[in-house]
Amino acid sequence: MLEVSHIAVNYGAAPALWDVSLQVQTGELVCVVGPNGAGKTTMINAIAGMHRVRAGSLTFNGRDVTQLDSHRFCEAGIAIVPEGRRLFTQMTVLDNLELGSFIASAKARRAESLDYVLSLFPILKVKLQSPAGSLSGGQQQMVAIGRALMACPSLLLLDEPSLGLAPSIVLDMFGAIRRINATGTSVLLVEQNVAMAMDIASRAYVMEEGRIVAEGQASEMLTRPEIQKAYLGLDMPD
Amino acid sequence: MSFPSFNLLAQSILSGIFIGSLYGLIGLGLGLTWGLLRQINLSHFGLVFLSAYMSYHMATVWHMDPWLSLLILPPLFFAFGVGMQWVMARFQISPFNSLLVTFGIAVVIESLIQAIWTADFRRMETHYNDMKFSVGSLYVPIPELLTLLLSVSIALLIWAAMRYTDLGKALRAMAEDGQIAAAFGINQKGMSLMLAGVCAALAAVAGICLAMTFTLTPSQIFAWVGVVFAVVMLGGLGSAMGPLVGGIIIGVSEAITMAVASPSWAPIVSFSLLIFLLLLRPGKI
Amino acid sequence: MNKTVIGILAAGALLASVPWLGLPAFYESFLYLVCHWAILALSWNILSGYSGYFSFGHGAFFGIGMYTSAGLAAHLNWPFLWTLPAAALMAALLGLGLGVVVFRVKSVRGELFALLTLAVTFVVGTIVLNTRIDGGPGIYLNAVAVPAIGPSASSSLYLLALAGAVATMLIAYKVQSSKLGIGLFAIHDDEDVAEVMGVPTFRYKLLAFALSCSLAGLAGGIHALFVSYVTAGETFNITVPLTVVLMSVLGGTRHWAGPAVGALFITVLLFMSAGSNPVAGKAAVGVILIVVILFMPNGILGYFFKRRVAVQGAVPVVQDPAVPLAAAHAPAAAPVRQANLATRGEPKVLLEVQGLSKAFTGVQALDQVSLQVHEGEILGLLGPNGSGKSTFINVVSGHYAATGGAIFFEGRQLAGLPAHQIAQAGIARTYQIPRPFAHMSVLQNVALVAMFGGAALNHQQATEEAWKWLEFTGLQDKANALPDDLNLHQRKFLELTRALASRPRLVLLDEVLSGLTPAEINEAIELIRKIRERGATIVFVEHVMRAVMALADRVAVLNHGKLIAVGPSQEVMRNPEVVSAYLGTPHA
Repeated sequence: MLEVSHIAVNYGAAPALWDVSLQVQTGELVCVVGPNGAGKTTMINAIAGMHRVRAGSLTFNGRDVTQLDSHRFCEAGIAIVPEGRRLFTQMTVLDNLELGSFIASAKARRAESLDYVLSLFPILKVKLQSPAGSLSGGQQQMVAIGRALMACPSLLLLDEPSLGLAPSIVLDMFGAIRRINATGTSVLLVEQNVAMAMDIASRAYVMEEGRIVAEGQASEMLTRPEIQKAYLGLDMPD
Repeated sequence: MSFPSFNLLAQSILSGIFIGSLYGLIGLGLGLTWGLLRQINLSHFGLVFLSAYMSYHMATVWHMDPWLSLLILPPLFFAFGVGMQWVMARFQISPFNSLLVTFGIAVVIESLIQAIWTADFRRMETHYNDMKFSVGSLYVPIPELLTLLLSVSIALLIWAAMRYTDLGKALRAMAEDGQIAAAFGINQKGMSLMLAGVCAALAAVAGICLAMTFTLTPSQIFAWVGVVFAVVMLGGLGSAMGPLVGGIIIGVSEAITMAVASPSWAPIVSFSLLIFLLLLRPGKI
Repeated sequence: MNKTVIGILAAGALLASVPWLGLPAFYESFLYLVCHWAILALSWNILSGYSGYFSFGHGAFFGIGMYTSAGLAAHLNWPFLWTLPAAALMAALLGLGLGVVVFRVKSVRGELFALLTLAVTFVVGTIVLNTRIDGGPGIYLNAVAVPAIGPSASSSLYLLALAGAVATMLIAYKVQSSKLGIGLFAIHDDEDVAEVMGVPTFRYKLLAFALSCSLAGLAGGIHALFVSYVTAGETFNITVPLTVVLMSVLGGTRHWAGPAVGALFITVLLFMSAGSNPVAGKAAVGVILIVVILFMPNGILGYFFKRRVAVQGAVPVVQDPAVPLAAAHAPAAAPVRQANLATRGEPKVLLEVQGLSKAFTGVQALDQVSLQVHEGEILGLLGPNGSGKSTFINVVSGHYAATGGAIFFEGRQLAGLPAHQIAQAGIARTYQIPRPFAHMSVLQNVALVAMFGGAALNHQQATEEAWKWLEFTGLQDKANALPDDLNLHQRKFLELTRALASRPRLVLLDEVLSGLTPAEINEAIELIRKIRERGATIVFVEHVMRAVMALADRVAVLNHGKLIAVGPSQEVMRNPEVVSAYLGTPHA
């Protein structure tokens, strides 16, 4: 459903991605791992339309979206949970969620989407009127995921959702992501926590220095030498 | 300095509230563009005065009912605001340069006003001018009361729109994080144009109120700059009710200063406040 | 004396002959106004144009000068010429007082500084109006004797203004080409980086402001006699500051003569339209301002003398390139470093942090970090995203203040010192996202650090030093290019060159390799090795693991702000805590 083909993206004047290609089939949960500075965030932002693609193409559900205006990506069916959450901190949790369903197609289904999000993250029920900035890290992450779900996307993008969160919360959150994928929403997950990501994903890519250096089934990824080298600089598998 | 009588003080406070509501009305448009669009729009003052002169002209020279100007001018200025924003957006100016460019526009508007209406004092003559009623020993002039009512109702309207409508929330989201807002379908360009239009329309309304309550002369345009900036910074950039509250606080403080000391001390209130705010509220802006 | 100074003086002498040429009085008035505005615009530019602190308060200092002269001459019967230094002094004092308060507040820059200075104008004006200084009716100077310098009263005033204008031009020129000017231009481009590179920003801003205000006061003093009736309303308003901004922006704020060009242009325009159609003249001024900001943001002179700040100094002769890095500081002569740690004895501690902590609102970025950096080693600072590595560099270099703990460098306590002193002590750093001074050439960027950093060289020596380092890092072909023209690799190397130019003892590198191609990374690794051979100690934050393995003698790993492991690289990277910090733990 998502076809990223040989894209190159610049960060300012500097190249951040060279020749990156990947696919996400309908209903899949694919993850991309790699050390910092590998370009994972730049790539996922480009897929969400937040970054101009300098070369290559993005195809979504058969449609070429490479040159689409940033604000049209949402109605095409792509929603993002960005790195660092990036909630609208001055507004309430409910406002944030409602803004997720700003586009007309999502607005029509706002009430049922809200029910769905609250069933996934029940703790938010009591936090609806609180300013989003006052929530804990884990709760903010839930709001960020909920906001993206309110857009009724067919592809959900998640950028390092475990960043800065305690391990037990990460556990719950990954469980929620798995349930979301089970309902049919395709998921592209960028993660630093390799072990956790491989647990829920079916396929995985490894990125290093702006390129994809390995791809394969998630189950066998952890022991691959590329990961040892990329993350730990070790030339021998441990 | 002599302490004034209760009557004088009460009347002063009342007129302080009235002028404060006008400060707030003028400041509303300025604060919204500064807070939400990161533009410091000095031409706002030019637009306020242009609208004041135009409503003066419509009422006094063409003998139209002043209420008509309330119907005609805001939509006209809305269109102008959209046009101006469209041009400004093409140049991607920094907030500081927007200060300079809009100053240039204000100077052009001032010259235009002076060319058409000369530097003579102009006063809008309508049957509302002399209407007032008394509450106890206090006089309440109708034009000032109308200004207060308009200012309060518009501020409330905008506040409600920003708080409860999707469009208002989208605007606030856009101001906080434009990139993510766009990722959720919020069209920054379109929103900016709409906001600029609304602020120009607000300037039009403020101008009408100004014409109702003041004698006009072109050189007065820049006399309001300092006070209104103080009002906006006190009330908070991008806020709907803030400028109104700030305006009334400053208006009343000035009025009391004028009653207790002398009228020429009044400017020190708003400007000292502005200095304090700038030094003591780091990062708030 | 160089050509420019002679040129200014010659022009001044020429113009001084005007009163004796028998021209109609109208010319003297016109020239007076040009000189008057030239003083105001040029003096404004010294702070605002050079450093970017756009002041909208020039009217306040002009007014102070005006009232000082008027008051002293009319009320206290001082001879007029003596009131002029007094006027300049009063204005300078007010400026210093204001600057001492305002320049310490980090957030008051740009448009906020403009607003604040505007507010000051009105406050001062109100005070002047309501107290005995003016009191309401204004001050009359008809009884004051005009010093007999020229054939008539008006020509005497003209000559005074001309003298003022020449003096201001010379000062503006001297400042721009001096160390003060270079520092101000650096502040303009990036004040925080300038401070970290060794520029004493607070002192320089204050100095420029005091100069600027005193000259405005001088202009005010002269003008008091010219108008001979001084009122608060006419003086303390928005006209002077806005006209001055317009003239400087039009002429070009980066060039010392720009404001004078703008002053001439606008005065001509207003003079020409004054008789026929003053309103059209004013409108024209507004239109010009709009056009200039939108299309020629560097002003007339900026447009024609495209780009660079003109700095004196020809291409220097390159001397011995093998300058040892620690030469400027060595308390005792330090032998050339040996890369092999095993042959040395007890490693000497260069930098030590104890219990270092840094908290931002809601985030503990550094948590009780205690670490020693040995002289001559290359230490890798590692950790997953958000672990505090960049914060560590920012705190040690003084970019941020620590919230707890101590930093000792060669035995000196560094915590709490302003960043420019830390730079002068011998610590240099690079920025992860390069932050060069955008309006200066590559050579000037590097020379600046040589001038202000630990080496503290003079202008000529600094430029030579800069050349040496550009050759060392291979950027010599780009010496006269602007940072914008460089690609990322070159910009990163510029960061590196800048860090080296101050001859530091400790170099902190922040992700210098990110974004580079594999070949460029190899080049950079070689360069870093050479730097260590010159005698510097290096701490570097990096994610490119093969570089870390190739370069680092030891590594320290941070996670969530805490130090979790330190030691030889191979050993640390196999430490299970480190592995799980990077890869995460699979859930049970």
